[in-house]
Amino acid sequence: MSGYTLTLKAAPALRLDLRGITPTALAAMDAAAVVKLPVGHGSALVPLGEFFNVAPRSDDSLVLQGDLSRCDFIGWQMDGGTLVAEGSVGDYAGGAMKAGMLTVKGSAADLAACEMIGGTLSIDGDVGDFAASTLPGSMDGMRGGTLVVRGNAGARFGDRMRRGTALIFGDAGDFLASLMVAGTIALAGRAGAHVGYGMRRGSLVFAGAAPTVSATFVPAVAGAPVFWQLLSRDLARHGGAFGSLATRGIDRHLGDVAAGGKGELIVVR
Amino acid sequence: MNRNGVTIDETFAEAFPMKATRILITAHNLEWARHAAVAATGFATSVIACGCEAGIERELPATETPDGRPGVAVLIFAMSGKELAKQIERRVGQCVLTCPTTAVYAGIDEGEAVALGKNLRFFGDGWQTSKMIGGKRYWRVPVMDGEFVAQETTAVVKGVGGGNLLLLARDTDAALAAAEAAVAAMKTLPNVIMPFPGGVVRSGSKVGSKYPALGASTNDAFCPSLVGLAKKTELTSQTRCVMEVVIDGLTDTDVAAAMRAGMEACIELGAAKGLLRISAGNYGGKLGPFHFHLHQLLGAAA
Repeated sequence: MSGYTLTLKAAPALRLDLRGITPTALAAMDAAAVVKLPVGHGSALVPLGEFFNVAPRSDDSLVLQGDLSRCDFIGWQMDGGTLVAEGSVGDYAGGAMKAGMLTVKGSAADLAACEMIGGTLSIDGDVGDFAASTLPGSMDGMRGGTLVVRGNAGARFGDRMRRGTALIFGDAGDFLASLMVAGTIALAGRAGAHVGYGMRRGSLVFAGAAPTVSATFVPAVAGAPVFWQLLSRDLARHGGAFGSLATRGIDRHLGDVAAGGKGELIVVR
Repeated sequence: MNRNGVTIDETFAEAFPMKATRILITAHNLEWARHAAVAATGFATSVIACGCEAGIERELPATETPDGRPGVAVLIFAMSGKELAKQIERRVGQCVLTCPTTAVYAGIDEGEAVALGKNLRFFGDGWQTSKMIGGKRYWRVPVMDGEFVAQETTAVVKGVGGGNLLLLARDTDAALAAAEAAVAAMKTLPNVIMPFPGGVVRSGSKVGSKYPALGASTNDAFCPSLVGLAKKTELTSQTRCVMEVVIDGLTDTDVAAAMRAGMEACIELGAAKGLLRISAGNYGGKLGPFHFHLHQLLGAAA
């Protein structure tokens, strides 16, 4: 088979930029070519083999081992296959990924899943700030696919998010879904301050504690039972606090009225 | 061939390719889903003047629908994909969107996508919102009872229209009893509808007319009032009433299964109940690519 295990030899002195190290790119290469792949180290391009031991695998997966917390852009623009990071990773994990399955066994730093387009990114630990958001300066954040965070999320989660589904099993920091354009975020734990600040459309589901709702949201008079069944049944497959959503009632708050008011905060009773 | 006193003609039903889709209509309870489905499939007996042929395929328990409410599965057939798209939009827009508590979903996933809620969303006047759930796009349109949820598209597949049985009976009672039994048996099968009122049509037609403007006219050979008058008649003094059951299905196998089930139900009534003969309508086999030979259908069942 065409998978590889890349084991970090030692913590790199500077940040490592792992753009281009994706399952489909490496699947077409032999081990000798993989070792020579250039990766960014500080401002220099250095062969991958300087930092990683490369070993072929019996399956198609690409597995990264070691303390990857100085490795940024893991799974950047990946377009298929399976990539597993067996440790905590740096910034931009799964950024702009299009397809495939990226699993991070540890935590991810800032900007995980930023401008993600498709596929699934699963993070067993926490994510830093600006997960599922935009690249700095860009207008649209996450725009497709599924992001699952088993731990806690930092601030500005889902900033300018446009489409796709993001779930947080732990707590979220301040400004959850700020300036959200559309899409779905479901939260099992507690949310910080300023939930949905400036959100235009989109749905935030609070399966755990009810958030502090800003004055720029209005309570919904009408229910949305049909929509809730469609959404909750889809979220239920992720299990945990989301598994029983379809059997629970909801209260909705519509807003942010300061930005059109077509978004909704769904508070599960 | 004779079964239980009923003569089975050595003939075949001739059927045509059509375009078809299935939509699922759910509502607060089955009654309202049925109201929407009945309205949406109204005036849809024949493509000759209705634009499409449509009917209720079956009722759906809450466990089988996307939103966990009771519903109704509807099949719609038309002669072209374009006409089908037009009919779906009109019928769903006027009969489902308007009906209290309903929601509408695609009942077929594989095939060319045509608009379902895609254009109806504009009824929301800017308040409509969309949501991708599990890879499918839904529209939420604010209405006076809450919101109307509609899947963006449904899929169009190839279908088969015009499967039929002609039931020749002793009198009206016997002909109705046979036709009702046939329709009841067919209704238990999936993927088929019988688009005429009660599934039965009494005005079977032949191709052509003495009037140049008409493409079809009464099937005089099967009209009891024309025995001895028309040039050719299929009837005798014993067979005084004929009913036809028309079947549209998603595949030729589905139509064949429905025709077989219908014939078996009629044959069970038998000559004792007044059914004397079963025939089928065709155009000589030159027009439609699907031929359902009655003897073969019954032989395959034996």
